[in-house]
Amino acid sequence: MDIVILKDILTVVATIILAPFIGGLLTGIDRKITARMQSRSGPPIFQPFYDLFKLLGKERLIVNQTQMMFVIGHLFFAVAALAMFMLGQDLLMLLFIMAFSSIMLIMGAMSVRSPYSKIGAQREIVQIMAYEPVLILMVVGVFLSTGSFMIRPLFSDMFGFGKPLLYDLPLVFIAFIYVLTIKLRKSPFDFSMSHHAHQELIKGITTEFSGPQLAVIELTHWYELVLFLGLITMFFAQPVWIGILIALICYFFEIVIDNISARMTWKWMLQATWIVGIGVAMTNIIWLYLK
Amino acid sequence: MGLVKKSRMKSPWVLHYDCTSCNGCDIETLACLTPLYDVERFGIINVGNPKHADILVVTGSVNKRNEKVLKNLYNQMPEPKAVVAVGACACTGGIFKDCYNVLGGVDKVLPVDVYVPGCCAKPEAIIDGIMIAVSKLEEKAEAMKAKAHA
Amino acid sequence: MDKYTLLALAILIPSLSAFLCYVFNKPWVRNVIVFVTALLMFAVAGGFVYQLLQSGGKIEINLEDLHLPFDIEFIFKLLDFVLLAIIADIGMKRKKPLIVVLAIIQGVLLLLFELFGSVKEPHVAFVVDYLSLIMLLLVSVIGPLITIFATGYMKEHEHHQHLEKSRQPRFFAILFVFLSAMNGLVLTNNLSWMLLFWEVTTLCSFLLISHDGNEQAVKNGLRALWINMLGGVAFVLAIIFIYNALGTLSVEEIIRSKMTPVGLFPVGLGLLCFAGFTKSAQFPFQSWLLGAMVAPTPVSALLHSSTMVKAGVYLIVRIAPVYSGTTLGMIVALAGAFTFVMASAIAISQSNGKRVLAYSTIANLGLIVCCAGIGSYVALGAAILLMIFHAISKALLFLCVGTIELEIGSRDIEDMQGLFKKMPFTTVIAVIGMISMLLPPFGVLLTKWLALEAAVKFPLVLICIIIGSALTLVFWSKWIGIILTVSYHAKYKMEKLPLAMWITMAILVVAIIVTGVDISMIFKAAVAPFLLESMKGVPETILNGINGLWLVGDSGKVVGGFSSIYFFMILFLLFLLYPYLYRKSKAELLKPPYLCGANTEEDTKGLEFNAPADTVDQVIVHNYYFAGAFGEANLTPWANFIAGAIIMIMFGVVI
Repeated sequence: MDIVILKDILTVVATIILAPFIGGLLTGIDRKITARMQSRSGPPIFQPFYDLFKLLGKERLIVNQTQMMFVIGHLFFAVAALAMFMLGQDLLMLLFIMAFSSIMLIMGAMSVRSPYSKIGAQREIVQIMAYEPVLILMVVGVFLSTGSFMIRPLFSDMFGFGKPLLYDLPLVFIAFIYVLTIKLRKSPFDFSMSHHAHQELIKGITTEFSGPQLAVIELTHWYELVLFLGLITMFFAQPVWIGILIALICYFFEIVIDNISARMTWKWMLQATWIVGIGVAMTNIIWLYLK
Repeated sequence: MGLVKKSRMKSPWVLHYDCTSCNGCDIETLACLTPLYDVERFGIINVGNPKHADILVVTGSVNKRNEKVLKNLYNQMPEPKAVVAVGACACTGGIFKDCYNVLGGVDKVLPVDVYVPGCCAKPEAIIDGIMIAVSKLEEKAEAMKAKAHA
Repeated sequence: MDKYTLLALAILIPSLSAFLCYVFNKPWVRNVIVFVTALLMFAVAGGFVYQLLQSGGKIEINLEDLHLPFDIEFIFKLLDFVLLAIIADIGMKRKKPLIVVLAIIQGVLLLLFELFGSVKEPHVAFVVDYLSLIMLLLVSVIGPLITIFATGYMKEHEHHQHLEKSRQPRFFAILFVFLSAMNGLVLTNNLSWMLLFWEVTTLCSFLLISHDGNEQAVKNGLRALWINMLGGVAFVLAIIFIYNALGTLSVEEIIRSKMTPVGLFPVGLGLLCFAGFTKSAQFPFQSWLLGAMVAPTPVSALLHSSTMVKAGVYLIVRIAPVYSGTTLGMIVALAGAFTFVMASAIAISQSNGKRVLAYSTIANLGLIVCCAGIGSYVALGAAILLMIFHAISKALLFLCVGTIELEIGSRDIEDMQGLFKKMPFTTVIAVIGMISMLLPPFGVLLTKWLALEAAVKFPLVLICIIIGSALTLVFWSKWIGIILTVSYHAKYKMEKLPLAMWITMAILVVAIIVTGVDISMIFKAAVAPFLLESMKGVPETILNGINGLWLVGDSGKVVGGFSSIYFFMILFLLFLLYPYLYRKSKAELLKPPYLCGANTEEDTKGLEFNAPADTVDQVIVHNYYFAGAFGEANLTPWANFIAGAIIMIMFGVVI
């Protein structure tokens, strides 16, 4: 077999195996840090793994026969998006694959006759509507800066000290971090489903998923988390360790935001992301056009 | 499946249902979430959804109205699951036992695994009760498996 | 079979069938006619494909070689005036002076044009290249399919209407006349003949919209008629200006002439775009397409989604190489992008299924217009691919909505809750259709991706497409969610549909998947040759890699790309997994949805809950429609105003 293809396959396999460990661990650290910020001692670092395996061992309750398929689709496409990232594929298409993953979850939540999960799904749709334009603008910014939609060139020189992408796209980066709060389900934008306030709309979009289904959704979230941190890394990819460091710092920053802000309404979110997010990103992009 | 077994011990998610409690036990239950007691260190999370819960914590005595709701919530929880009755009222009906509308303790309706006495029950006692309930989950899981095979 | 026979067949077979349908009243005879015509039209389309491949990319058909015993040009002109007379007559009968006036203006202009400039008609009357072949295939494959569907549908439709005498002969006759005109429109190389076919489709559209004969239908039909007549007037003016400037009516020569500011040539181009806007229902002309939704569903599927409205964008795409890169092109792109975002926004507030489809159609046509306006290699490729994929998906979706409407008696999305139980087959097909409209790896999304990557250099257009595509996601996913809603049922029973209906839907859904998987082959076989031919000298910037499309930048490096095949594999895997998951979901694991513990005793579906005072109440959940933010009444006036301004700017620029 062609050595390049073999390498690609190995990358994908390694990603599929390793990403949940990283994602789960980061989630555990997130919970620990959150607890410390609230002056609690918090759960063990490995708590997310305990939760996952416990859920896998629970009874497989169902509400209808289609739920599980959507959940698995949610996982598959999130993994596919991460694989695309690792292989350095088209960034714009990656966003659309990610959207497919989200839509799968929405379909699963709306497939049951439950008011809570349906309203949660509607809110999730509003969230997608809010963050999608900003994410696409980020891609546009990357194109204007590098002349390519592919991710691979950004990581071409992983250990040298080149000019990072951030140099051209500071405002786009800020807008990106801003909407990332939605994607990571952090306050003030966590109203379709949040990790903390468990009384908000029962559990929003995941209300009707239980046991293994919920485990798969949690697993998917870990994959997504790794993908987002990867996207942050992209802005500082030269050298890559700085990127990873900054991604972790950004993640910490998101945790701080999560802990110091209250949940808002979806209207507020839509206005905030469209006016501030698109506005800020557009400002940056306009100066790139003029340059 | 050692991993699942271990995880089951370390991640009990709790659904708290207030039957007709005077709110005394509820305040103590919620006190468990505060930094002082911080039940999350045992992996305990207070969820609002029976479908995600492992342990049903009930406060207050059962009456004819909330009997249906209590049964329904218990029914919607996935196996393995346990019930913890918190406070005197939940255990036996307490001082409301003889009221015209009160059926009695939670065990009149559901199979209770752990009784946590007290009026109000102390947070330490509640946490202890939940942890005892957790240790009972394993045999329930075995029973669930046996039932599935049969 | 030679090209002359093929050409004659392409236009005459449907006309003949129209006549036969009109004459023979018996349903079974009609069904046979429809079926045979469909087969013949497929064969003719296949014949054209074969001929085109043989001839290496272009078939020129010169009618002068045939030495016809009659003057065909004269016949066409005569038909033109007959048609205008018919339209004026309709205007008189329905007391709509505007239509009469527009018809008269058109007639007078045409007459003056013929009298005062001894018009030199182009020698090559018909040209088949890859673009017309694609359009021909869309018309001659999707068209007959929908007509077959209509045989099943119209029976049910009239059954609901309780008519004394069936009006189906008229209905099918007009459908076939329309197909014939469409075939002519995409094949002809003569701008003035194109006008005739153009006006025939306008007339057919009116007749079909007002087919049911009630007040609403006639009113909406008349609106469609006058708006399209307005486009017709623009078309006639364009012919006059262009002929004056270039001295030719050959579409080929017009394209070759590039954007030379000879006399009023740019104005002519602007007018052609204007005509295209009216026919493709771009803002501010969208109202006729929305009104057209009162027509029986096959009409909506055929005319107002997959074929007739494509005539407008076909014209714009056809002349795109002329204005590509000019200011006119930019403004056309802006107009299209604006339509895309506004139509998508308004679609969110709609709960009527057909109106959502109509707005989505307008939005996608807007995107095609936008791509044509940008006019680069990638953009034009995206436009043509979108024409293909949108036609197939939208035809399917309209058919699905029609089928659903016959079954549940409503086209309101909220009434489609739990559709999966009532009609699992239609639901699954509709969901595939909808997913193919908004998600990768299906074709429509791929073209959206191409459009975005092409628009990246034009900020204003870009931001419209970006916001538009986010809004698109909203209304589709809401709808998909509703029709997928289902409670546990031990067994699902397939619905009983007439053979003609389910077979058509099955063919279309297979077509969606096949074209989606084969996107790179379609591109290589049909789109790339057209692009190379029409944009000589422009470097080829889309490559077909392994089962996908790859974009190449100026430096020759790959700047973007997507291999859709892997994602189709994932979807396929999910489908394979489903039977297993289905078997795993046993009845004893069933729990009703969470209703705060207030589920009633027996209800396992979550339809009822114990309400106060020992009563039982229904659970009712509606979708969000954001009527305040995206309401039709709020947005339409502003959108029309801005779109009108854009068109003014367009004319300002070309003058």
